[in-house]
Amino acid sequence: MDENTAVQYLDSLIGRTLRVHATDTRIFVGTFKCTDAARNIILANTHEYRYPSPSAVRDAATNANELAAESAGTAQNNIKVSMTSRFIGLVVVPGQHITKIELEETPQLGRMRETLRS
Amino acid sequence: MLPNNEVRGPTMRVVPESVVPRDITDDFTIAASKLRTGQLVKDECFTLFEAVGALEIMDSKMDSGYLGPGENHAQALEDDFDLMRELAPEEVLGIMDELLCHEMAWHMGHPLSQTLFTSLYLDRLLWPVPKTLENAHFGRGQSQSNKKVPDIVHVVLRAYCLALVKCCDFVHARVTTEYYFEEEDFVTQLYNRTLLSQFDSKHFHDLLDHAIRWVDEHTDTLGEKVAEAIRARLLFRREFLWGLEQDVEVIETRSTAQFLSCLSHLDFLGKSAVLGKEVPESFSCKIQRKLASTVPPRPMVKISFEDALAHLRRLCQDAVDLLEIIDYRGPYNLKVVIWTLLSRKPQPSVYIRSLVQSLIVSNRTILGAVPVKQFLYDELEQIVLPSSILLQASADEIEVPSDPRFQIAQHMDVFTKRFSQPFVDTFRSACLNRCRIRRTVCHTLVDWDNLQMEAEDLDEQLRTLSNEPPLQLANGDTTYSYPLSSWAYHHKLSQFRLILQLGFELSIYAPEELPGMYWYLSHICSTHLGHIDRIRTFTVATAKRNLAELAAKQRDAIERHTILQRSIQLLERMTTQIVAVDAFAISLHALYVLLARHRVLPTTSSPQAYSSNRLRYEIRMKPFLQITLPELVPYDEYHREAVLEGDSDDIVLERAAKAISEARKAWEATLANGAFMRDSDERDSPALAIEEDWKRDIKDTMRACIGASIAIETVKKALKAQADSRKREELQAPQSVNLRVTIPEVGSKARWHDWWVVPQVSPATTSKS
Repeated sequence: MDENTAVQYLDSLIGRTLRVHATDTRIFVGTFKCTDAARNIILANTHEYRYPSPSAVRDAATNANELAAESAGTAQNNIKVSMTSRFIGLVVVPGQHITKIELEETPQLGRMRETLRS
Repeated sequence: MLPNNEVRGPTMRVVPESVVPRDITDDFTIAASKLRTGQLVKDECFTLFEAVGALEIMDSKMDSGYLGPGENHAQALEDDFDLMRELAPEEVLGIMDELLCHEMAWHMGHPLSQTLFTSLYLDRLLWPVPKTLENAHFGRGQSQSNKKVPDIVHVVLRAYCLALVKCCDFVHARVTTEYYFEEEDFVTQLYNRTLLSQFDSKHFHDLLDHAIRWVDEHTDTLGEKVAEAIRARLLFRREFLWGLEQDVEVIETRSTAQFLSCLSHLDFLGKSAVLGKEVPESFSCKIQRKLASTVPPRPMVKISFEDALAHLRRLCQDAVDLLEIIDYRGPYNLKVVIWTLLSRKPQPSVYIRSLVQSLIVSNRTILGAVPVKQFLYDELEQIVLPSSILLQASADEIEVPSDPRFQIAQHMDVFTKRFSQPFVDTFRSACLNRCRIRRTVCHTLVDWDNLQMEAEDLDEQLRTLSNEPPLQLANGDTTYSYPLSSWAYHHKLSQFRLILQLGFELSIYAPEELPGMYWYLSHICSTHLGHIDRIRTFTVATAKRNLAELAAKQRDAIERHTILQRSIQLLERMTTQIVAVDAFAISLHALYVLLARHRVLPTTSSPQAYSSNRLRYEIRMKPFLQITLPELVPYDEYHREAVLEGDSDDIVLERAAKAISEARKAWEATLANGAFMRDSDERDSPALAIEEDWKRDIKDTMRACIGASIAIETVKKALKAQADSRKREELQAPQSVNLRVTIPEVGSKARWHDWWVVPQVSPATTSKS
């Protein structure tokens, strides 16, 4: 990839919604605004997502067990605990703290991209 | 000024179900590595300026969600504090008082994230947003669902917390509907939480009543003193909630009972605070990690309980005295009460100021009683159009288009449409914070200049319609009254004066500018006096014409006579006040000229400074540059006047001394006139508390006058001593005058009045060598 195609590629992502994973496991979801050679990423209208704390998982598990006990059914193996999220606005995630970058797209868009590539 | 109800705060993120994330880490990383150092790929509309505002993730100073190396996930996000644990009554008391401190800090303008939202108890009640009020309890979302929350926590502390949040809800609602400055006056940010606005306040009263009963029943176990203290706080909260709930309804209820009752509790609250025991673990900044917030983490704001009580006391007192503005007694009196109330030191809190704004005008009605048009007409009648057909025409309901009265009514409607909002805003602007008042008036000045020109056009058309008789001047010229534009000009000149006087209050001018600015103030005053004279000439002429009709015992003549006399009286009263300002300004101007001439006036700019008198003048006149009338004084003329070029020290001294004695007389006369225009049959003051404030203000001005006369005397003596010594030792080089001058700061004791910068002049002791 030469510089031109690199810029073209990154430019195509501007304005799209990215999910940027940070070294501390938090995920930042926002509109991609800017990046540079050090892979620093600026996101606008960002929401911060955090994995539920162990105690929240424990509580959910207890509740699920109680529910299961009440309904006298079999205990569930899987419980669902949602990630906690909050709005934090405009942020810059420094390149060295990024572990993963994901692009949000609709399935149709994904298929279209695949056809274009082939 | 427009209502300030833009929606703030984040919206929920909506993610369509079908969205799939695709890992692009490698592509992205490779592409980014191809960029040169310093090269950016960015959104076209995204500026570097915006980028600076971005919060840096993983930086402990910027990222409120950052967890330090030592903090493990669970500890960092959840405090170990058990909200369901038993609390000693003293601890409940301590938490209540701490919450009150945070509540007042919020009232003072600190964000919730640094005040109330640091409370773990409040956090548990408010997040997740409760669907029912029963749902808002301390045991929610906990695994130990069978564990019972102790009664003192569940019944007493919970009731207090919920009612406190509801109080905040009322305050928040009032402030956000009015014009205020975010982060300057108040922070309305709720971080995606609610202040229980969906629940009716009746429930909160029930909870408080229940808590009070519980305390009464458990006095023995709680201990008599502590029980009494807790009870007083619950009672206070109940009254405070009532008072805040009343809000603008005060127009109907006219009740001060709630806030008076609040005030009656405050002394005991202060005294009994020592019984409380702090529970610092129940407050934590970590909650900021969970708040939807676009700002870096910030420390908790701590104010002392005394400061909180002092703020609360003023708020309650202002809320009580607020009632005195509600009785409508004409625009002049309304202006006096509003200005006086809102000029209290320290300035009334943002809640009170917002409430006053709402009371002044809502739904195009003044004080909930007077339509805006009537309000404007009252003002015009008082100042420029006593008993004029222009104001009566629209009341006559003539429907024949050819009738001049019909046409007059139409023109006056145009006038009302254009002028009522700017006119009402001259009242509302007093509700802003002091710096913003000055800034706003600087802006509206330009509008009033345009309005005056529009009014002049209307005046000319109305003159022919109303067949106004011209007035012959002493020099033989004839002229017309131009009532509407005269009135606009009168307001504009008042605004000029206000801008200058607030300039002194806000310490905008450097000491070296004081001679010039006081000259300018007197210049504006004398222009204004001339203008009022002109208005008076026409009113007197109308009164004379009316006398003839009065003699002929015409029906309306007597009524007209009363209205005319009242108007003349008001013009007289305004003249006295402006003369007082004028004379004081002349005197201070002269005094400062002497101090500057003899180089004893302190200066803030160094001799090498880029600034010069000319540049400073340019900057001070900036608000007035676009104004057509009064014309801008060219710098050279200003300079000549400001330094009193050509006048000897003796003449200047004489001028200062004469003016100050005239000022003292005029201020005494102002004080004697009283704060308000009164009907002859009115005996008691309609606004006792506010009139007291007004009197204090005038008396402070008079003290400043006395201070100025003393300073003038001191300068006189020193100049005489200098002249004498010069006579004795004629050959020696001229000695500098033996004086020390300090300019007292706003708020210091020696500054008698904010608007009057009276220098402290004393003989210098050291320079005798």
